Amino acid sequence: MADDPNSDVNGNGRRDVAVPMELYKSITVFSTLLAVVFVLLAFVMFDAATLGRSFVRGVVRDAFGVVGLSVGGQPLTIAFALVGFAFLVTGSGIYILGSRFRATEMGNAKHEAGEE
Amino acid sequence: MSLERKDDHDHKGWMKERDLTPVESVYLTVLMWLDKRLRIVDYLEILEDLYYKVNMQMPKSHTEQYNLDNKFWYWYPLYALGSFSTIAYVVASVSGALLGFYYSPAAAGASGSPTVAYEQITFIMTDLNLGFFLRSLHRWSAQVMVAAVFLHMLRVYFTGAYKEPRELNWIIGIVLISLTMVFGYTGYLLPWDQLAFWAGQIGVEMALSVPVAGEWAAQLVFGGFTLTHATLQRMYILHVFFLPFIATTVIAIHIGIVWMQGIAEPH
Ligand code: HEM
Repeated sequence: MADDPNSDVNGNGRRDVAVPMELYKSITVFSTLLAVVFVLLAFVMFDAATLGRSFVRGVVRDAFGVVGLSVGGQPLTIAFALVGFAFLVTGSGIYILGSRFRATEMGNAKHEAGEE
Repeated sequence: MSLERKDDHDHKGWMKERDLTPVESVYLTVLMWLDKRLRIVDYLEILEDLYYKVNMQMPKSHTEQYNLDNKFWYWYPLYALGSFSTIAYVVASVSGALLGFYYSPAAAGASGSPTVAYEQITFIMTDLNLGFFLRSLHRWSAQVMVAAVFLHMLRVYFTGAYKEPRELNWIIGIVLISLTMVFGYTGYLLPWDQLAFWAGQIGVEMALSVPVAGEWAAQLVFGGFTLTHATLQRMYILHVFFLPFIATTVIAIHIGIVWMQGIAEPH
């Protein structure tokens, strides 16, 4: 990595990858969008875990019913909560990962001269 | 304006020559896949372009001509307060119309037992699905409207926007802030709880304290010198019939005049 002038572990130990402007725009727009969607889904899941009349909870319970299974309230709650946390972590992860990219034009204290 | 795709950057080739971790490669590949299909970035760029083009066509305002923007810019958000009042009014109207399906203005059942009006409020708050939300929305939007209207008035005053030729709109504004407050007062009495009842008592006594016309005014507005069913019924019909028609009309005239005259340059 050290010999690639465009990707670098910068001063504060954070990895930093320079990308073309066009790609940078896609990263910003889509990572933000995905992060928002995942966080919203996480809260839908938390609702399903904690709210008896949640729509999602009803649908899942009925779906189990259709195939002849009846799941208890407690396991359902735990499952929804875990999925919710997974979504929350995924959303944050997507956003955090997006923050290591920057456009070449955006500059950075180091390597200013050597960039395309 | 067309959405011709721009010459594609060779992302794949670019990625190969770069030293990316596996996570980064997958990440970028997924985002690029999405970008190629959904093209949101292209549309955002069109909007950005449009924004600048539209702005370029605007005539220079007084503040720009005399280079006052650097001193005046922090007033600009306050020009939104009139629209903010309007939005609060619309929210209050819609939530109020929905509350109207459940509330009834009857003071029957008084002396000890709760009144019909109060029982309907209790029903909305405890039994009706989303009732708590609906009533809260109505109360909050009403409070926000009072605050926004008042701050809007301050904005108009401190930017000197009341001056010629806008005196008429200032006077209409006085009427509007009065209507807003009467809206608030009549609505406050509708739950017919202790708060409402004693606020009504204060109103009657204030009316009665007026010389000469006092008794007549108390009769007209409160339907008597003590609070009865007639009082509640008057408050109700003022709140849900008279005031909505009057206030909506006056707001329309007020905004119509702003439209005709254009917004005032700061004085
Ligand atoms: C229900 C209450 C009111 C509503 C919905 C309302 C709405 C508006 C709106 C949308 C504007 C356009 C400019 C802006 O938003 O700042 C405006 C301008 C104006 N308003 Fe109001 N307003 C209300 C109350 C008042 C009050 C209480 C006053 C003053 C006593 C007032 C005086 C004016 C004047 C003079 C203008 C013209 C300002 C200019 O040209 O810069 N309005 N109003």
